[in-house]
Amino acid sequence: MAIVQDKLSPDSAFALTNKAKRSDRFSGGIGMLRRLLVSDYFVLYLTLLFFLVASIFYPTLSNPASITNQIQNFWPLLAVAIGQTFVLIIGGIDLSVIAVMGITSVAGALVMAENLDPAFFDKSPVWGSLMTEAGGVLAGNPLAVPAAVLTMLLIGTFIGWLNGVAITRFNLAPFMVTLVTSTFFAALALWLTQSRNISGIPEAYVTLGKGDIVSIYLGAKLTPDIARRDILPFITYPFMIAAGLAVVAQFLLSRTVFGRRMFSIGTNRKAAEVSGVPTQSVIIRVYMFCGFCAAMASVLYSGRLEIGQPSFPNNLLLDIIGAAVIGGTSLFGGKGSIRGTFFGVAFFVLLLNILNAMRLSPFIIDAVKGAFILVAALLDIIRTRVANQEQRV
Amino acid sequence: MKTSMKYLGLFVIAVLSVVVSFGVVSAQTDVTICFGFQDLETEFWVAGHRAITETLRGQGIEVLEYNANEDPNRQLEQIRECIAQGVDGIIIIPQDGDSANTIVAEAQENDVPIAVFNRPPNDRSAGVIVVADNVSATEQAVEFIAQKALRQFEITGEAVTPLILVGALQDTNAIGRRDGFFNVITRYNERYPGLFNEPIEVATEWDAATALANLEAAITANPNVDFIFTSSDFLFPTIRSVLEPRGMWVPMGQPGHVLLAGLDGDATACQLIDQGYVDATGVQNLFLEAELTMNRLLQAIEAGETAPNEVLLDPGFALTAGNIFFQRSDMWGCVLYDDGFLDQ
Repeated sequence: MAIVQDKLSPDSAFALTNKAKRSDRFSGGIGMLRRLLVSDYFVLYLTLLFFLVASIFYPTLSNPASITNQIQNFWPLLAVAIGQTFVLIIGGIDLSVIAVMGITSVAGALVMAENLDPAFFDKSPVWGSLMTEAGGVLAGNPLAVPAAVLTMLLIGTFIGWLNGVAITRFNLAPFMVTLVTSTFFAALALWLTQSRNISGIPEAYVTLGKGDIVSIYLGAKLTPDIARRDILPFITYPFMIAAGLAVVAQFLLSRTVFGRRMFSIGTNRKAAEVSGVPTQSVIIRVYMFCGFCAAMASVLYSGRLEIGQPSFPNNLLLDIIGAAVIGGTSLFGGKGSIRGTFFGVAFFVLLLNILNAMRLSPFIIDAVKGAFILVAALLDIIRTRVANQEQRV
Repeated sequence: MKTSMKYLGLFVIAVLSVVVSFGVVSAQTDVTICFGFQDLETEFWVAGHRAITETLRGQGIEVLEYNANEDPNRQLEQIRECIAQGVDGIIIIPQDGDSANTIVAEAQENDVPIAVFNRPPNDRSAGVIVVADNVSATEQAVEFIAQKALRQFEITGEAVTPLILVGALQDTNAIGRRDGFFNVITRYNERYPGLFNEPIEVATEWDAATALANLEAAITANPNVDFIFTSSDFLFPTIRSVLEPRGMWVPMGQPGHVLLAGLDGDATACQLIDQGYVDATGVQNLFLEAELTMNRLLQAIEAGETAPNEVLLDPGFALTAGNIFFQRSDMWGCVLYDDGFLDQ
């Protein structure tokens, strides 16, 4: 080694020494752990490990029906978490997504619902105009469902625009702005419906929330008396919608100037502005996209429940932000990916299922979820440090 | 850094191990029932939960419990998980009557018999639905108050101002209780014109904080309220906190007593009837309802019925200051109260 080093230039010698150091760092168990930790697939590995360990104690978790059930629970959460990931990447936060889901769910139902009971809704301020005994404004019309979905997406995007404009033009804190819009639109949804769910949702809309495109049967042979519970959903409409959204989001983030601008704003907004990035326009569009994703999630959630639902539980917000953070999205901005959020949602859905399987009280479940998000945030700090060290070396 | 990495690795493994090994279920019997409930936010649901789980486990049945934490979407996911685990039957306490329809349909489409406990779906044609007759139980309790109000009216000639704390109207129980209240008020006003003023309606959304804020506003605007009916007994402490500072929390027999009635029959109501503050409460026979639910579901499982559809009614009864001595042991709340539930 000494002879070889004598023949090298000082720069080459320095590089070789570093390579040796790096090789030393990555050798053995610690090295493997470091490689694992900085890997983009770290959360996926953790999810798989968690699944394997949990399956030992709860074998039912690994049966095909349970796995497909967990996958079906995955898509609506992914849809809304994608939008939140975008907002977190630019260093913001959107607390209004739950309210957006509520108001868009109601708005969609006001367009397409059939047969509304006056005993439930006659005190609604829109009874007689947007709501009648026949249903919503387009009840029975073949275009009711597409019009309802379009209305939902437009309203979600509009609320996102409101958030973005308030944050950029008036220089208000995202936390405060989205909290205010959340309160306002949650109250509006309850006022419009007088706290009632709107049923009478058309079948075509329900299909969007839980319809199968391809189903599978994993039995020994195909017989006419297969129980419905043994036919498992494989490719579903929620999968197509959420996966499509994820592909578009990933493309926007990784292949467009818009995506690069998002990261630059999240890393340092002032520096981005000085560099000529149109920060206001980018921030507004990001919040609009987040509202759009929340509306899309609302389609999936309300479709599968077959109701226009004015209020979604607030602790769902913990799941949304938690999934993004577990997936490696930084709460300080400038860092995150759709792939990471995908893995984060998978981890979160699995975690919830395991906690449910353990029959824990909801208080403990929420505490454990909170602890996992904290651990994820700490892990993120350590991963960043390790990655920075590797780069310096 | 190396040390911190080691600790981190150990910590992650420890967390995973603790989380998955905590609370492993081992009991195995022939029949497994999934019991999904929306939450246990009041004494009534705590007692209902206890009545069902103890009744089932008493027969050696394995019970898988799922708490949806007031989220109907979560409840749907949990019921799907139960179906995936191959349970023999399902009992749910749904979050509301609308989501209950979807959940019942989901279970029946997958050939799993399902029973709905106490909070019925809006469409009562599917599933085993065990429900208290809210209208009847409320009418019995309010009738008792109306009789008292009538006596007062005959002496003073002054109309009685009633106030009702209304539950969340997406819940059919709340609707039934409101209907029962208005049935009696209307009936008495037709028979004895001028007995009752226009009732004041106060929204609660089944939430104590909402009830407190709205009741404060209503009593401030209408300090001459003579009769308060709460759609659920769990709001009696809220009523007390509004009436007491205004000198309106007075036991019966003393001047200024506000007539009070409720529905559910919980331990607090029992205590307050004992103390003379509450005049009557409509009681749901929780023990009967738990038994009806379990027996019908087990019967369906045994017969291989995958979609039993039946409504089983609990007529309920009114426990009043007049009959508490005789009917005390029939009221689940008094049983809890006498067991020291409120001292825990």
